[in-house]
Amino acid sequence: MTLTPQMLTVILAVVLGPILGALVSGLDRKITARVQGRWGPPIIQPFYDVLKLLRKEALGVNRIQIIYVWLHLAFMILTVVLLAMGQDMLMALFAYTFSSVALILGAMSVRSPYSRIGSHRKIMQMFAYEPVLILLIVGVYLITGSFQASSVAQQPLLVKLPLVFLTFLMAAAIKLEKSPFDIATSHHAHQELVKGITIEYAGPYLALIEITHFYEIFIVFAVVASFWATSPAIGLGLAAAGFLALIVVDNVFARLTPMWMLRYMWTVPLTLALSNIIWLYCA
Amino acid sequence: MQDYDKLLFAALILGPILFGALALISPSRGLRNAIVIIAAILTAGAGAFLITRTPLQFFMEPWTAHLATGLEFLIVLIVLGLAINIRSWLIAAMALIQLGLAASELLLPGQGGGTESAAPQFVVDNLALILVLVVSIVGSIICVYAIGYMKHHEQHAPPTAAGSGRFFFFLVGFLGAMNGLVMANDLKWLAIFWEATTLCSFMLIGHDRTPEAKNNAKLALLINTFGGLAMMVAGLIAHLSGHGENLSDLTAGWAMLPMALLCLAALTKSAQLPFQSWLLGAMVAPTPVSALLHSATMVKAGSYLVLRLAPAFSGTRLAVIIAIAGAFTFAAASALAIGQSNGKKVLAYSTIANLGLIVTCAGIGTPLAYAAGLFVLCFHAASKGLLFMCIGAIEQKIGSRDIEDMGGIMFLMPVTTVITLIGMGSMLLPPLGMLMSKWLAIESAMHAPLVLFLLVVGSALTVFFWAKWIGRIQTASYHREYKAEKLPFTILATLLLLVLAVVAGGLMTMPIFNAWIIPVVRGMTVAAWTADGLAQLDLAGQLPMWPFLVFLGLGLFVGLISFARFKEKNVREPFLCGENIQGGEHSYNFRSIGDSVNTAWSASYYMGSFFAESWLTPWVNLLAWMVILMLFGTMIGKL
Amino acid sequence: MSASSKSPWIVHYNCNSCNGCDIEFVACLTPMYDVERFGILHVGNPKHADILVVTGSVNHRDVRVLRNVYAQMPEPKVVVALGVCTSSGGIFADCYNIFGDVSKVIPVDVYVPACPPRPEAMIDGIVQALGILERKRAGEVMPSAAKPVLTLRPTAAAEAAPAAAQAAEQGNA
Repeated sequence: MTLTPQMLTVILAVVLGPILGALVSGLDRKITARVQGRWGPPIIQPFYDVLKLLRKEALGVNRIQIIYVWLHLAFMILTVVLLAMGQDMLMALFAYTFSSVALILGAMSVRSPYSRIGSHRKIMQMFAYEPVLILLIVGVYLITGSFQASSVAQQPLLVKLPLVFLTFLMAAAIKLEKSPFDIATSHHAHQELVKGITIEYAGPYLALIEITHFYEIFIVFAVVASFWATSPAIGLGLAAAGFLALIVVDNVFARLTPMWMLRYMWTVPLTLALSNIIWLYCA
Repeated sequence: MQDYDKLLFAALILGPILFGALALISPSRGLRNAIVIIAAILTAGAGAFLITRTPLQFFMEPWTAHLATGLEFLIVLIVLGLAINIRSWLIAAMALIQLGLAASELLLPGQGGGTESAAPQFVVDNLALILVLVVSIVGSIICVYAIGYMKHHEQHAPPTAAGSGRFFFFLVGFLGAMNGLVMANDLKWLAIFWEATTLCSFMLIGHDRTPEAKNNAKLALLINTFGGLAMMVAGLIAHLSGHGENLSDLTAGWAMLPMALLCLAALTKSAQLPFQSWLLGAMVAPTPVSALLHSATMVKAGSYLVLRLAPAFSGTRLAVIIAIAGAFTFAAASALAIGQSNGKKVLAYSTIANLGLIVTCAGIGTPLAYAAGLFVLCFHAASKGLLFMCIGAIEQKIGSRDIEDMGGIMFLMPVTTVITLIGMGSMLLPPLGMLMSKWLAIESAMHAPLVLFLLVVGSALTVFFWAKWIGRIQTASYHREYKAEKLPFTILATLLLLVLAVVAGGLMTMPIFNAWIIPVVRGMTVAAWTADGLAQLDLAGQLPMWPFLVFLGLGLFVGLISFARFKEKNVREPFLCGENIQGGEHSYNFRSIGDSVNTAWSASYYMGSFFAESWLTPWVNLLAWMVILMLFGTMIGKL
Repeated sequence: MSASSKSPWIVHYNCNSCNGCDIEFVACLTPMYDVERFGILHVGNPKHADILVVTGSVNHRDVRVLRNVYAQMPEPKVVVALGVCTSSGGIFADCYNIFGDVSKVIPVDVYVPACPPRPEAMIDGIVQALGILERKRAGEVMPSAAKPVLTLRPTAAAEAAPAAAQAAEQGNA
């Protein structure tokens, strides 16, 4: 069997994706600590966390939630594979959505109020960012005339999609559970809903959710970078800038209520993204 | 045309009606059940056999034209009689107008100068074939399911309920009327079968004869008679203007006014906004009726008609409005579904939304959109039929159709619950049919910004209500083993049959798309279609299935292994701040002030401030009426 | 040290504490002490935790809660008891509502006595607990910690020592 460049990309993305995601997550904790005047954990702290969790006892409330945590991971990897193959972006988005839905369903299958409220909030989060993501794909289609993920490499998208880029960063704040949108579960200590959606997952199952989250981080920043895919240097710079912006926002905002998030996301970002799309239609 | 084609044709239309009549007069339940099963097998078999015979054309003997006229008068008179019987003067007035229309069509000569059209009265092309398959296979499965359901229903139905014999007559006969409807080419025959389905649904919705059932049946008759009226006006205009009275004569040059009227009829039948109220009211009927109305028959007639007309109005302003009407229904019905806790109503709104998607696809009218519309039609029929059958079984077990009451049924009835989960999953899960068609629909809507926006909103809303519901029904504590519940054989068999179809079809979406849908669409000749559009169709067909199957398979495989290897000693109660009651009745009970025992409970979000039905319905209806007015407004520009 | 001891997640349960220990414990998270640099996270949920930190004496209601919280933690897990109250009931020992010390309910691995302990002492206790956590993960059965020796009333020698220090201080001044 010969290794085509495309297969190589897929394998690299699947293998390196979570590692990069974990490093970004570690860097996030480090920079956040520095912003707060602390020393912070080592950058490879997320690896320690996951390795520890994998070796802990696998507690659960019922058996149904376990199936969903695996589906959560499987569909997140599927999203990475589809994007790395340069396949249809809308389909990749649907796979990504189902990955989140799987986590929600797993968390809903237990009789824990925290978990259930967390998963309802996660649904509201998806409801808040989903239109923005589809509009992003619409924007790419209007520029390149194709739904294939491989088409983004043709030209710098940021030039024609500046507002969509901005709204995507807002959606990214939701996806990465950053303040002010970290309402379903929170990375900072335990304040919100006692970890909300992940509360009933312990040990290795929680490790799987963490690994999935690393993939998610990887996807988000890969998409940010693809706004300038013609030059890797600028793309990476864009990703780094987006990363720093998210950290700043995370540290200066308080957490908001779910309804506030919904009202905000369906007004300001959606209007911004829509106006960007409309001027593309007119152009 | 060979003789056995005639036989096949008769088996599809007259067969179910005949067997229904036998069921009506059969003296014992056992005999009636046997008749229904035989009818189901024969109809399904005839439908499947039709695949080998398509395309077909049936030229009827000249005397059948008189038969058609007679039947038309008969049906209108029945409607009139019913209207007088239930004291609905509005329906009676519409029936009288229909009578007048039928008479004037008979008396006024058409501009065609009385020459008989050379077109066949009945045609089986690929579109009709798909519909016949859906009707005769899914519909037959539902009829068999009804055997087990009605046995239970008879014991719990209100004393006013009509007899089961009559129920099965209309249920099975419905399939025949529906088959006739989708094969009809002649507008007169189309109208006859159209009215026949209206009558069947009236009888079935009113089956329990409670005041609510009577009212809702009346509503269904009212709205569908309105649609029937629109159809007869279209027929008369076609007759008078001499454009031909056959669907196959429809071309881009065909008068737009009758086309718009036919679309209006289709929208009423498909319960598109603002005509959705009758389908919601139809929920009072026994669940097999809902299953049949929502999946195989009735509402599919409307979407079929729009798909049938789509090539004719493709590229016109009418198409634009139709697309907007469908997309608006898709978004608004999905929003209305969020505020519902009544399971059957959620399903109803989901049906309306998906039919809206089909109408949108027909309105967009590109090859890709048309393929998407066909896709929704097939997969929705199977999934929704399955879901209604499941909810019917669940309702009979737990005595409620409220979503919030469905927690814990995983332990109570694991087989039904798993099947329900698969059915609901088939509405959301990426490689399965419904999601693929939503994907195709959104991609084909790229050049219609408003439609696209409505689809985007609707698709975000869809996830909301499904996830909520799935989460509720699978909620369970730990159980060492699940014991399969006892279901009546007919219910279990039909559930398994349909779930197998859903899974098999779902895993084969792209092969089905490539091997079947693409040739069907490519086989059509539509003036407005460009080579570019057809290329888009092929491109969509190139989506590889293997990553989906591999990762779905892997996820499920590893997940099920973990499921099986999970040890009982690893079970812990949900976290309730440490106040769980050890060894209590429920793992989710906790102690509170004064050592009182409380149950941890959180209801789903319904977001009543946004999505309350009573608040939202008037507004969306207002907008929907605007769209309907626009539908005819486009005509004025043309005149 | 393996990954387990580099990522200790702590759940904190306040039994009947006067909140003195709790305030000091939370102070460990502040930039001054910053326990996150050791990977220590303060989680709210026993299911995610490795270390259970208990403060205060145990009252009758706490008994079942403490048992539940402990039972909901996945193995390997250790218990760190902060403050005097956890080992003896402290100044609340004879109150009508007090059940007793923590070791009467769940096994305690590390005691950090004092009223309240300084954050440094708490961190030191956690680091000790990490060693035990590591050995528990390796499969060792660890004995419960010995209770710290109680000094109910200062001895003459202890009384003398601060007095001498005070004298020295005054002398310096």
